Amino acid sequence: MSVLERILNGAPGRFTVVALAALLLVGAVLVNAFAPFVWVGIYTYFCVTLMLVLGLELFMGNSGILNWTYIGFVGIGAYSASILSTDPSLKHMGVPNMYPALVNLHLPVVPALLVGALVAAAVAAVIAWPLMRLSDAVGVITLFATLIVIHVLMTQWDNVTNGPRTFFGVQQFTTIWIATGAAILTLVGTHLFRESSLGLRLRASRDDRFAASAMGVSVVRVRYLTFILSSFVAGLGGGLWAHYITSFSPTSFYVGELFVLLTMLVVGGAGSISGAATGAIIITVLREGLRQVESYLNNSGVISFEVYGLTEVVMAMLLIAMLIWRPTGIVGGSEWRLPLRRKQAAAAPSPEPPAEPVLETEAAEEAK
Amino acid sequence: MLTVNDLHASYGAIKALHGVSLEVEEGELVALLGTNGAGKSTTLKSISGVLRPLAGTVRFLGDEITGRKPEAIVKKGLSLVPEGRDIFGSLTVAENLRLGAFSSYERNRYQEDLEEQFALFPILKERFNQPGGQLSGGEQQQLAIARALMSRPKLLMLDEPSLGLSPALVDQIFALIETLRDRGTTILLVEQNAERALEIADRAYVLKNGLIKFSGTPQQLESELDLASVYFGGEEGMGEVTV
Amino acid sequence: MNEFIINTLSLGSLYALIALGLVFVYGILKLVNFAYGEYIMTAGYGLFLLGTYTPLPWWSVMLLSVALAALMSYLTELIAFRPVRTKSLTAMLVTSFAVSVLLQNAALLFISPRSRAVQLPAAFNQSVALLGVTTPLRNLLTIGTTVALLVGLTLLMKYTVLGIAMRAASDKFSTTRLMGVPANLVISVAFIISGLLAGVVSVFWVGRSASVDPLIGFTPLLIAFIATVIGGMRSLVGAVAGGYVYGLLFNVLSITLPASVINYRDAFMFLIVILFLLLRPEGLIRGSYTEERVG
Repeated sequence: MSVLERILNGAPGRFTVVALAALLLVGAVLVNAFAPFVWVGIYTYFCVTLMLVLGLELFMGNSGILNWTYIGFVGIGAYSASILSTDPSLKHMGVPNMYPALVNLHLPVVPALLVGALVAAAVAAVIAWPLMRLSDAVGVITLFATLIVIHVLMTQWDNVTNGPRTFFGVQQFTTIWIATGAAILTLVGTHLFRESSLGLRLRASRDDRFAASAMGVSVVRVRYLTFILSSFVAGLGGGLWAHYITSFSPTSFYVGELFVLLTMLVVGGAGSISGAATGAIIITVLREGLRQVESYLNNSGVISFEVYGLTEVVMAMLLIAMLIWRPTGIVGGSEWRLPLRRKQAAAAPSPEPPAEPVLETEAAEEAK
Repeated sequence: MLTVNDLHASYGAIKALHGVSLEVEEGELVALLGTNGAGKSTTLKSISGVLRPLAGTVRFLGDEITGRKPEAIVKKGLSLVPEGRDIFGSLTVAENLRLGAFSSYERNRYQEDLEEQFALFPILKERFNQPGGQLSGGEQQQLAIARALMSRPKLLMLDEPSLGLSPALVDQIFALIETLRDRGTTILLVEQNAERALEIADRAYVLKNGLIKFSGTPQQLESELDLASVYFGGEEGMGEVTV
Repeated sequence: MNEFIINTLSLGSLYALIALGLVFVYGILKLVNFAYGEYIMTAGYGLFLLGTYTPLPWWSVMLLSVALAALMSYLTELIAFRPVRTKSLTAMLVTSFAVSVLLQNAALLFISPRSRAVQLPAAFNQSVALLGVTTPLRNLLTIGTTVALLVGLTLLMKYTVLGIAMRAASDKFSTTRLMGVPANLVISVAFIISGLLAGVVSVFWVGRSASVDPLIGFTPLLIAFIATVIGGMRSLVGAVAGGYVYGLLFNVLSITLPASVINYRDAFMFLIVILFLLLRPEGLIRGSYTEERVG
């Protein structure tokens, strides 16, 4: 049995991960070799976004909880890594009010990115324990309130973040290769997590919270650990994003950006890695296309006013339509499989229970 | 009057009914018996529209009502008194009764209906302006039945009306069900207390593991079968003898 | 001191209405409606469009704008929320988020990203003297309108069948349907009342700044969250109480916080909210049901 066969015959999701990773790599090579320069940027951006969606799926897809704070942790990672990696003299110009101690802190980019992710994870570890005990409306409002607190801190603490103004002067470190590599690592990581005992326990608690706790799964503990892990991915992705875009402000880490990630996740399918990836691809293409339309309309003079918000209007309508007609997303809760392998999978008892779609209710049969 | 044919229903992945068929004729008091988890409440929920059945049909007064909305089914004259009484605790007795009449309200008939309930349940007149949550268990059960009667049902379904009540109150509730039957109300009664239910029922069905295992008169049930051992006792290890 | 009382009562009244509108839907559907702020925005644009481009008198502009918010609320229920109602709570939440983004960006696209001036009758901002305090008439109108609305809603909820049915539905939804109460009816009415309240809020909210922009609904949404959390998500009385408590808290913080940290006021408020939720998830006033907690 060759190595490839061994990989392909492993757990059901493993084929998906290998296929996706290969696709990403091939895509990067092709884009880098043949596509116009703009595409390289778009592809890099796409890979970082994919990483962020996978991180969001890690907690939300596995727990079924709408995690508003996620985008805040992306911001924490971005600011932390950028503060550390930027040259002190540049920092002094970019953020005139920064604390002198912070100005003098300086690290190479890679450790800076890691520290940024760790800071996000650490903040998550401090605040998340009590949050994970809440559920339903109270939980939603608390997570939302936490995002507001993070955002207010970002916009007001100008000794650290330059306040609402742009933080600029960050090195451009994230190339198409680094972004692709990060996305592939995240793919593998999230897959391993899903198959780990922690991941299985979390999914069990999503499907039936009470049965899971009856079986001895500590729902709060499992959620807590996953939340930290998810925030770590958010922080790392945020750092990579900052080192690609090189200048940013707190609005990049707020409700609007979360909406994009959330749309990707729901449109693709919040219950699986393939879903997250499919959604990221579709929405990236759609957004780029709509942006082209917007800028064409604005530059051509066809209409007299400026078009602004068209992209979001279309995305929101798409999201609502998906929720109404296909709440499991395009992929539909389970991982991609080869058509041929699907028969085998159907014949042999599956080692993992089919993933329940996140957005379907446990009590769907209670006819409302 | 009511014909249920091959009804299948489930809670999520767990199938609760595997093809239940039963019939209730006008003026009858039919008992539906069985142990905990046999599917009695599920049957009533599926008939009343609270639960959407997977397959099978429910016909009431000649019309198919399978999978209709609960509010539409009530309007047709089929009322359910849910398990655990389910009165509105924060609403007064008066408000609970007013809601009961929601589907069939007629101004000039309302007071008359109310007086009728007071005659059957004098305690409700005393407690008229108290919140339902302050009533005792027996009083709440009376309120739940009165509330259902306010809709002038053609068929009344009672889900475990004696559950959690003291023996004296159980007597009272069963006496009341008899009174209703004698007045001509058609009743489908779900009970764990099989002995008491059989005393007043015209016919009975026994439900086990989501299937009808017996149907006939109480006499047939008692003569043909050793109730305790076969239907509620050991055999397939169901445990829990309720008779 | 009198001035502080009038200001607090006026602000508290506005906050109470904001909170009440959110809780009306939450009580029945258990949906935290993130699109609620956009109903306020809708009425704001109604004031702008009708006030600027039609010769209608100001009072009919106001009434129509309030009606417009109610209509928008009803339409979102009909088109977006009704089809996902039987799905999970998270699906409904994401839907409300999407509706919010949709309405905001529709305003950006079809009207303008820039804020638009709204003409309100001059009397609105005229100062009047009361109890030795000079205060804009607007403040007194806010208090008066709130009192009138609260009395009206209390009568509706207490003495009409519809009100009784709505209270019953927020207690036990499924059982309420067994009484013959149509589910769609109570939910639609809840959305319409929520929209009406948002519309009234909008008149006073826009009255303060005399302008409207696509993001105008965000702050009221946050206020609604804070007030309902303080007061308890499940009870209408709690929401009103929460609104007044928050109004008081806001004014006190505005006066007492040093200027250097005033910008953090929102963060402070939300920290209070978070602590409140952690320590007392049922709010000041306990509803008939407590939130489910895990662990």
